Amino acid sequence: MQSKRLGWILLAPTLVILFFFGVLPFFYVVYVSFHSWNPFAVNPEMVFNGADNFRKIVFDTAFLKSIGVTVMFVVFAVLSELIIGYALAQAFMRDFPGKAIFRTIHTLPLIMAPIIVGSVWKLMTTPSIGIIPHYLEEWFGLTMNIGTSAPAAFATVVLMDIWHWTPLVTLTLIAALVSLPPDPFEQAQIDGAGKRQIFWHITLPMIAPAVVATVFIRLMDALRTVDEVWMLTGGGPGSATRFVGVHIFKEVFPKTNYGYGSTISVIVLYLTIVSCWLLYVTMLAPRSKRG
Amino acid sequence: MSFILKLGASALALTLASAAYAEESADFWKKAAEPYQGVTIRGVTESSPPSLYIREVLAPEFEALTGIRVDVETTSWDQMFDKAIKDMEAGTGIYDMAYIEQDIIYSYLARGFLTDLTGFLAANPDLKAPTYDEANFTTFANYFKDADGNLYGVPMEAFLKVYLYRTDLFEDPKIQAAFKEKAGRDLVPAKTHAEYAEIAEFFTEYGKEYDLDLWGTTAQAHTGHVASWYEYYESIAPTFGVYNWGIDANNNYAASVANGGAMNSPEAVEAMTWWLSMRDIAPPESPASTWTEVGTTFGAGRAAQGLVYGENAGWIAADAEKSLVVGKVGVALPPLADGVLADAEAGEGYIGYYDGGAFGMPHSSKNKEATALFLQYIGQNEVQPDWAVAAPRVTNTATYEDPKVVAFNDELGGYYDLIKDKGYLFAGAPAYPFHAQVREATAPIFYQILLGELSPQEGLDKMAATAEATLSDLGYRK
Repeated sequence: MQSKRLGWILLAPTLVILFFFGVLPFFYVVYVSFHSWNPFAVNPEMVFNGADNFRKIVFDTAFLKSIGVTVMFVVFAVLSELIIGYALAQAFMRDFPGKAIFRTIHTLPLIMAPIIVGSVWKLMTTPSIGIIPHYLEEWFGLTMNIGTSAPAAFATVVLMDIWHWTPLVTLTLIAALVSLPPDPFEQAQIDGAGKRQIFWHITLPMIAPAVVATVFIRLMDALRTVDEVWMLTGGGPGSATRFVGVHIFKEVFPKTNYGYGSTISVIVLYLTIVSCWLLYVTMLAPRSKRG
Repeated sequence: MSFILKLGASALALTLASAAYAEESADFWKKAAEPYQGVTIRGVTESSPPSLYIREVLAPEFEALTGIRVDVETTSWDQMFDKAIKDMEAGTGIYDMAYIEQDIIYSYLARGFLTDLTGFLAANPDLKAPTYDEANFTTFANYFKDADGNLYGVPMEAFLKVYLYRTDLFEDPKIQAAFKEKAGRDLVPAKTHAEYAEIAEFFTEYGKEYDLDLWGTTAQAHTGHVASWYEYYESIAPTFGVYNWGIDANNNYAASVANGGAMNSPEAVEAMTWWLSMRDIAPPESPASTWTEVGTTFGAGRAAQGLVYGENAGWIAADAEKSLVVGKVGVALPPLADGVLADAEAGEGYIGYYDGGAFGMPHSSKNKEATALFLQYIGQNEVQPDWAVAAPRVTNTATYEDPKVVAFNDELGGYYDLIKDKGYLFAGAPAYPFHAQVREATAPIFYQILLGELSPQEGLDKMAATAEATLSDLGYRK
């Protein structure tokens, strides 16, 4: 009884903070999403408008386009990070000269603030002065201009995200790989299993929880990407990199469209939860059932 | 008494009077600040040269003089608005001062975000500094006044977006001869759009021919940042006779030609087409350039001419640590279509953008008295000359006559003369309380025009329709 009470007492500060900084703002955003509210309108007050904002969102081509671009970004970036991160994790499981230095350098992007990453990539990709367009032109005769080419801008944003976040995936997968028991691998080898079979039937199922956790984290991060893209392209050219986070930012802050912006936020949160749930259902739930 | 003696006596008297006045002034600040010892006032502003001067020079000076601590937070343009608006909207009182860009003042006034400084000082005569007088400001201060003439912000920066050109190139005999041979006229700063385009094409070709990193014009044509929208509406469209974004405030805020506006008028289309043609022969970084990058491009010697914000013109012309074209820069009025100059002189139009801002006091400030003292401090004539040299901006009329400023004016190719003599031809943003809302609603379509996804006519038609729809949603258009 006493230990239960102590548990609640210890938990109380966290719950209070969570309530005021997580739960309360969330319900406030939901509340605002049912209102029309722009402080610079003739009527600056919040006016209840039922489900109008939710109806409007279905026909909002700018929002739908931003969702499409975001999904593409998430697929390309997270999948690439997972593959490269796994390859690097496997590499770091072996000994090679300079491994410690390489691992430190490889982890450095993680400690950089997204806004700095955006600035650095902007400097590297600005036409005329950036090293990337410079060498692309000098070595391959290719012209790269992220101000005019939507594919170039999108690819650059994906590359930037991969560069920034692959180390996180690597570190998580290293932790998972290190914790694997050697017995199943030895038995599989004795039974004559090949490397591919070992990967699909032993390694992957055993590290699946870590993979799913990593994908959850990266998925949620990628869906709310704003600062790096804001710095690099501002969402352009046109709307080529106007991810949903950037779209919400522009709707809520410069446009001060608080009501509609809240509606978009609620919908995006819903889509994020659904995506994570789908991921869980397809990757972990069957495994739990089998277990 | 000989003339020399008279002059000496006058100088002595003037020196003694000045010293006495300075002492009296210092006494005022100390005495007026006594009740506010230990108070900290906080401000938020854009990280620009004039604001940095406040943070690095004026705030410490004021602090030493009065004992009132001044924290000035300098941040990005977007963040500054975000922070200030949230604070004022919620009435939290985090900030005692906020930078008010000229184009946002009408939104702030409409929402009652700001403190009436004139009224506040009238109600608190003990706080009124003897060296502060609203009459000292240039006419730019009028943008920060309400209908009754009360001031809501102390002007702290004011620039023109000027036509900057490279004097070393324009005065090079070899280039002059080559241009004359090609164009059949002398190489002088353009007065019309056709002349400007001819010069731009000439220099871009010249750069290619001699394998130089040189182009004929700048273009603030970012495809994902509102800087491009601003270049068109503030600096290009007016020179074709399209004013106030093509929205007629006196005609139910009409934007489309069909309803009486001019956002998609033939002049607007001509302006857009001309600007895009200039963008196409500008340096390759132009589609990723905001006002900052345009300054950098010009300072790196990559453009022969261009429209450049005055805040950048200063360092481009005079800061050898940052600019490769120091002493090689001239200023002129932008190229104009027929009738635009006459419109501007008659007060019925304008030829370009008069940019700037002021420091205002949010209604929610918790330290209004101490803040009022600081705002007066930065508005005095005495602090202006060094500020004008450090960050080229003029807000007080007396600043023009100061010897330091007169000397600096020569370095800037006559920039201050241009502000003083021709500033009245330029204008700030229109008095719209919906500035950011209409800008953001139309900007995505604007970017489509830049990318060639929409023709200028299609795009401007769509922008006019969107502007009207947004204004209806906001309740301005009935």
